[in-house]
Amino acid sequence: MSAAPELLPSTPPQQDLARLRDQIAAFQTTYAYRLDDLDIDSWPSFFLPSGRYVVTTRENVKAGYPLAIVNCINRGMMEDRVRAFRTANIFEPHVYNHLLGPVEIIERAGNRYRTRSNFQIVRIMENGRMDLYATGAYRDLIVVNDAGFKFEERKVVLDSHALDILLVIPL
Amino acid sequence: MQDDSGRTRHIWPVEGAARAPFWIFSDPEIYEAEQQKIFRGSVWHFLCLEVDVPNAGDYRTATVGETPVIVTRGDDGVIHGMVNRCAHKGALVCLKKHDNVSRLTCVYHAWTYKLDGSLEAVAFRNGLRGQGGMPEDFDVDQHRLQKLRVTTFCGMVFGTFSEETPSIETYLGPAMTPFIERNLGRPLKVLGTHSQIIHNNWKLYAENLRDAYHATLLHTFYTTFKVNRLDMDGGIMLSEKGWHHISFARRAHLQEDAEYGAAKVHAAKYNSSLAGPELIRAWEEFEDGITHSIQTIFPTMCIQFTLNSLAIRFFAPRGVDVTELNWIFLGYERDTAEQTEMRLIQANLTGAAGLVSLEDGCINEFVQRGTRRSPEAASFMEMGGRGVVSVPASRATEASVRGFWQGYCEIMGFDTQPRAEAAE
Repeated sequence: MSAAPELLPSTPPQQDLARLRDQIAAFQTTYAYRLDDLDIDSWPSFFLPSGRYVVTTRENVKAGYPLAIVNCINRGMMEDRVRAFRTANIFEPHVYNHLLGPVEIIERAGNRYRTRSNFQIVRIMENGRMDLYATGAYRDLIVVNDAGFKFEERKVVLDSHALDILLVIPL
Repeated sequence: MQDDSGRTRHIWPVEGAARAPFWIFSDPEIYEAEQQKIFRGSVWHFLCLEVDVPNAGDYRTATVGETPVIVTRGDDGVIHGMVNRCAHKGALVCLKKHDNVSRLTCVYHAWTYKLDGSLEAVAFRNGLRGQGGMPEDFDVDQHRLQKLRVTTFCGMVFGTFSEETPSIETYLGPAMTPFIERNLGRPLKVLGTHSQIIHNNWKLYAENLRDAYHATLLHTFYTTFKVNRLDMDGGIMLSEKGWHHISFARRAHLQEDAEYGAAKVHAAKYNSSLAGPELIRAWEEFEDGITHSIQTIFPTMCIQFTLNSLAIRFFAPRGVDVTELNWIFLGYERDTAEQTEMRLIQANLTGAAGLVSLEDGCINEFVQRGTRRSPEAASFMEMGGRGVVSVPASRATEASVRGFWQGYCEIMGFDTQPRAEAAE
């Protein structure tokens, strides 16, 4: 971050903080529900053009390993994943149901907020089978400007190192 | 094998390695026999990398088939392998994936082992206040963690339960070792790991890795995005007995990228319709022009190079129809920061979310589900003929899949020599 980070909640009044947390939660909820509706085409629009989307594991983070399972370093790479989902990749149809936890605002620098929130995702297959597919933490860097909220970075840290079958719908 | 009524079953189809009978993927009796003959047999199994146990006292847990094992590095730097099962009551001794310890101590009754697996001490051996304790003739030298023979090759640690398994060099054979040395023969750096739980018998994944026929048919990412590979030249090389293989694609030429050329990275661009072409930013790493390769080592591992994305995949059965597929993405100690970054971005191509190959996570399950109630039927694998021979200039062949079955059947005791009935 460019400006020296100042810790919340020492700066804004409590009610502003609560409102901000609500707004961030609403942004994250919209992101999750669009994916649950399989509106994957809208997924890159939640990011800045230079935004990053990373899926990694708790184990990799702990070991200091830089590898990600998904590693999009700009929106173009996300658009390619959407197109691959629509036209190239083959998988058994399924949908997600995201359950989101409360937002923790960790750090603020100007109009950028570093946050963490937990999630659980149930995956529903076409034959009706439902499985707890993923749990973990979203570690986000969110930018607030006139256009609203955008992810500068969304880092998905999975609790387990193991993924069931495959990962094709963004988390 | 015979069933309870004495009727002989489990007879391999007369066509030999060009067929795999579907009972082989679902029969629990076969699965049990494999644990003994394959996983405890005269076969080297990948356990971990040497860099996973760099220091004295490091241990790493793994499995050979379903048997839990420990790899340690002793105080003298020697790598040891042993079954993760206390000599006392059989409890797991090491519970973590990795750790650094001076001794291995079972949590149950505190039996303590040296790093080579030999028993050092037993709690309350002499009893308490003169009461209890082990019998007079108790001898720590008669008890230890069951030993595994271990060996290393190009930074990989292998283990075997059998005294009869030949040296790793002999096991791999002269057709396989040079390409392993090309890919792994220098100090390795782990970039990261993950695993996939796939819902199929382990042998379906072993087949899938050797199946070059499906590569451009199931996996359409490159063609969809018009990645101009110009590397359709390729082929299949089999080891002497057909157990292991190399499938490779070679580039005709790469278009030099002036920008990266000037930066002396020797990066090259593939033409494509990607919105994020950084995905396939690559550099020419080897002079042989091979851009994509998969090299299997029988029974359950492979080394892949997808552009500059180097990875080891190894898999272990977790039941007759569940397999854990592990990914270790690698670079070299010598890599520049920019080369590491290219490897990390190219890691998008493979793995559980791999744009090029994520289909392999489900395709083998489709076979599992398609076949499990049809034990009497069999697959048909005659692409490229019926033989188990190298095909240096084409990948439209199932020769390497037949090679797997040839090796498997030899170990399991199935007769795959085409028999007289086959001619009819």
